[in-house]
Formats: sequence, C-alpha cells, structure tokens
Amino acid sequence: MSLWIELAVSGLITGGIYAVVALGLNLQYGLMRIMNISHGEFLMLGAYLTWLAYTVLAVNPLVFLPAVAVLMFLVGLAVHRVCFRPIARRAPSVEAFEARSLLVGFGLMFLVQNAAYLAWGADLRGYSFLDDPVEFAGVRFTENRLVVFGFAVAASLAMIAVLRYTLIGKAVRAMMQSPSGAQLVGVDTAVLHPVVFGAGLALAAVAGALLSMVYEVSPSMGEPYTVTALIVITLGGLGSAVGCLVGGLLLGLVESFGMHFATPSLKMLLSYGVFIAVLLARPKGLFAR
Amino acid sequence: MTLRRIVAATVIASLAIATFPWLLSDFALSLALTCVMYAGLTVSWAMFSGATNYLSLATAAFFGIGAYVTAWGLGTLPYAVLVPAGGLLAAAFAALIGAAILHLRGAYFAVLTFGLGELVRHAITYFEKTYAHTVGRVLTDTPESVTVFLTVLVVAAAAVVTAFAVRASRFGLALAGIGSDESRAETLGVNARRVKIAGFALSAFFAGALGAAMAVRWTYIEPNSVFNPFIGFQTVLIAMVGGASTIVGPLAASVVFSLLTEFLRLQFPYLFLMLLGVLLILLVLYLPGGLASIWPLLRARFARGDARA
Repeated sequence: MSLWIELAVSGLITGGIYAVVALGLNLQYGLMRIMNISHGEFLMLGAYLTWLAYTVLAVNPLVFLPAVAVLMFLVGLAVHRVCFRPIARRAPSVEAFEARSLLVGFGLMFLVQNAAYLAWGADLRGYSFLDDPVEFAGVRFTENRLVVFGFAVAASLAMIAVLRYTLIGKAVRAMMQSPSGAQLVGVDTAVLHPVVFGAGLALAAVAGALLSMVYEVSPSMGEPYTVTALIVITLGGLGSAVGCLVGGLLLGLVESFGMHFATPSLKMLLSYGVFIAVLLARPKGLFAR
Repeated sequence: MTLRRIVAATVIASLAIATFPWLLSDFALSLALTCVMYAGLTVSWAMFSGATNYLSLATAAFFGIGAYVTAWGLGTLPYAVLVPAGGLLAAAFAALIGAAILHLRGAYFAVLTFGLGELVRHAITYFEKTYAHTVGRVLTDTPESVTVFLTVLVVAAAAVVTAFAVRASRFGLALAGIGSDESRAETLGVNARRVKIAGFALSAFFAGALGAAMAVRWTYIEPNSVFNPFIGFQTVLIAMVGGASTIVGPLAASVVFSLLTEFLRLQFPYLFLMLLGVLLILLVLYLPGGLASIWPLLRARFARGDARA
C-alpha cells in the first residue's frame, strides 16, 4: 500500500511542475498563437539563476523565487517586443504567423541553450536545500519535494484565480474567446500581449527555480519540459487553465506508475504515446464538452 | 526551362560532381558528401513542406529509419537493395502517420512530427536494449567511400529531378493549392487528404534513402546519432534560408551551409549554434521568403530602372 502512496505522491510532485510549465505555454499559445518552443529554455534559465543566487550569494531559493519571476517577466517583455511583435505586424495570415513564430522559437532555443553551455558548461550543477526526510502518510519524503509541490500547486491556483476573478484575467479570457470582439469592447492588445507573454516566461522560470531545489541543473534540461508542456496542453485543452492543472497532475501520475510497472526507459515513450493518442482521439482535450 | 532541359542539366551537373572522388582529397570529399546529402534532404523536404506550408520536423525520423534499415540489413542484403528499402520503409511510415496526423495544421503538426521523431528514437532504443541487448551497432563490411558518395549523389539527383517533375505536374499544383488555401483547393476537386499523404510519403522516401545510404559512413550506429534532431533542424533551416517555395534556393543554401557547419561547428560548437539561432530569427523577421526572394526583388528594381531611362 505504501508503494502505491509513494508512486502517487511522487507522480503528483512532478505533475505539479508540469502544470506550472504548461500553464505558461498555454497562455502564450492560447492567447497569441505563439507556439513558443523555447519555453523550456527559460525554465532552464530560472533554474540556473536560482542555483547561482544560492551558491554565490547564499540567497534562500524560496526568497529568490519572486525575483526570478519578475526578472523573467521583464525578459519576456523584451523578447516579445524584439521578436514576436514585428512578426505579428508583418505576417499576412494567422497560419504564416504561427509558422514564423515557431521558427523564431527554435532560433531562441538554439541561442539561449548554447549561451548557457558557453557560460556554465555541460556539467550537471546542483545544491542541497531542505533535504531532510519527513514522514508523510507512512512514506518518507525529503522536505524540498513537498515544498516544491506546495509552491507549484499554489502558483497554478494563483494563476487560475487571476484569470477567473481579476479584470486583466477577464480580458485575457475574452481575447481567447473572440479577439475582435474583445478589441471592440476596449481590450488593448498592445498591452495585453506582451504582459501575457512575460507572465508565461515568469511561470516557466518559477518552475525552473522549484526544480533546481530537487534535481540537478544542466543547459539541456529545458527541452523535455517544453514537449511535456505541449502534451499537458493537449490533455487539458487549449486555453483552459484548470485543464492544465488537472492534465499536468494526470501526466505526472501516468509517468510515475508507468515507469514503475514498465521500465524507466519507457518514460518518454509513454508521454509521447499519451500525447499522440489524445491528439488523435480527442484533439480538443480530455475535458472538452 | 522545360522539364527535359532541367533533367539534362541535373544529369550533367551530377556527372561533373561524380568525378569528385578521383579529384578531391579525402577531407574535401567528405565535405562534398555532406553538401550533397543536405542538398537531397532539403530539396525533398521543400517538395512537400515548402509547397503545402505543412512544417514537418520529421526529417530526422525518416533519416534515422533509413539508417537503421542499413544497420539491420548490412551483411545479409546488398547495399544497393538496402538504400531503396530504407526509403520505402520511411515512406511507408510517413504514409501511416500522415494518414493519422495530416488533418492537423500549423504548430500542432510541426510539434507532432517532431514528437514522432523522438518517439521512433526512443522506441528503437528500447527495442534494441530489450531484444538485441545492445545500444548501438557496429557496421562491418561497409562499401568503399566512392560507392557511398556516388550512391548519395544518385539519390540526391533523383530528389532534385523528382522535385522539378512534381512542380510541373497536376500533383504539384494540387500540393501548392493546398498550401495557399486548402479548402478552396478541395472545392476545386483536389482530394487534399490523398495528395497530402502521397506528398509526405514521397518526401520521406528520399530522406529515408539518404539515411540508408549515409549509415555506412559511420562505423558505429546508435539511435542518438542517426536520429539527431539537428539533422532535421538543419534541413528546415537551409530550406528556409534558401526559400522553401523554390528548388534552386535550397540547393544553393545547402552547399553554403554545409561548408559553414563543417568548418565552424568543430571549432566553436556553442558559438556556432548561437549564431545559427540568431540567423534564424533575423531571417524570419526580415526575409521570410528566403534568399530566393531577393532575386525577383532585384530584377523588379532593375526593370523599373530600365523603364525610367
């Protein structure tokens, strides 16, 4: 029984991270049609910044969390202004915009990932933080994993609350439902697009900062999370924040149990299998009505 | 130019390149081989994706499937059989997945094709580990480098000729029609689904055959090297740089790029890839039609100058 609990809890912990990463990408793609393939690279940057702050300046990672988020939000504003705004202005159609922004995403991925290799090398970096074991429901966990899970779920819920109850959240949802309709009632895309893009990167960086407390950090760590985020978005449905949270936790559980009962090398195979199966059977997401 | 002239020009150019093994040093020959390989990959990619605007990132998957056909078959089957067999298996795989995913457009299609490449890579890794109890395979009895070069050249030349032939045919018009407006093409009587699957499979055939032909260049084959996503990205990048809707643009760009890659990548691996990223961004921002779009622009400017004079 305790094995089942252990698998479930560790699945939920990775699932929580997946939800945060996917939420950021979902905002970007759902609102602006930017399939930001470099999303995971900003997760990696967040992880490296946290690692640097802890090892060099001895800043508590949890205290540093808001700083990482704000920093990446500003980076997001800059990236959107330099790359995606010009494309949106010049692209003749939505499809051309999607294709071009995807290619720019690949360009950003090459740029950021190799800049990280150049700056920090290919070695795995890590630090130990809150790694004392605690008993929980008869299973032993290190504290940091539970902290990471708590913060991941809190970040997701906060984002969902912002989308649901605040004015800017309502504007974002209106924009997703009907871009021209939202503009008619006075939603300003020139403000909303960069802000939402920045918020997406901030969420990725928060996920990276949380990951760095538990796992080792490397320049290539981001890429798998981009793909996972896509799978989660497909599971949860495009533009649905709640779907993201549920889909992320679900995928974490599938991986955790799948890895235990099959073999660890099947992990990626399993995720891709789920992705393709859902895309083929329910292209609008598991929870679409 | 008529199709017959283009075929003749391609054959003459290929015959000229076919003398390389006897003229160039080993190092220069291996550079030439990379150029020819990327020319073939890029032209076959542009044949489908350039025309239809379906951005496929599955080139690495097709290439790897072809390479594995050679890795499994070498020793029991002759090289000349393995190359087309690799192409056919890749084409069959493309037709199968194409039937399943070609109704998706835009970023979903691109990401899914990328994911499929990874899926095949992980699947083969898993298969080899569990059933063959090995990670990679050592290739023995590989054909001479002259044979490899000529084989790759023949496949690449066939890709170029096919690309031109497709463009001149009803089938090519249907592909281009799907690219500019799929529902209108369907209204005009194009069976979009069938045309897309056939185009995707045709383009995959050449990528698979090139993979099968190139596999013997590496004496040791493992999933991570032959399913290298870099091959797929490089192909897309070259095609975009050259201008994906043309054939000559990607051809010229593949020569420039392969030389650049071979020289820079070994010396400054990270800096080179950063440069590649910046180049890709700049290109999409300022020259979305690729280098080939400069030519008509210049011509129009000169024509206007003449009229004024």
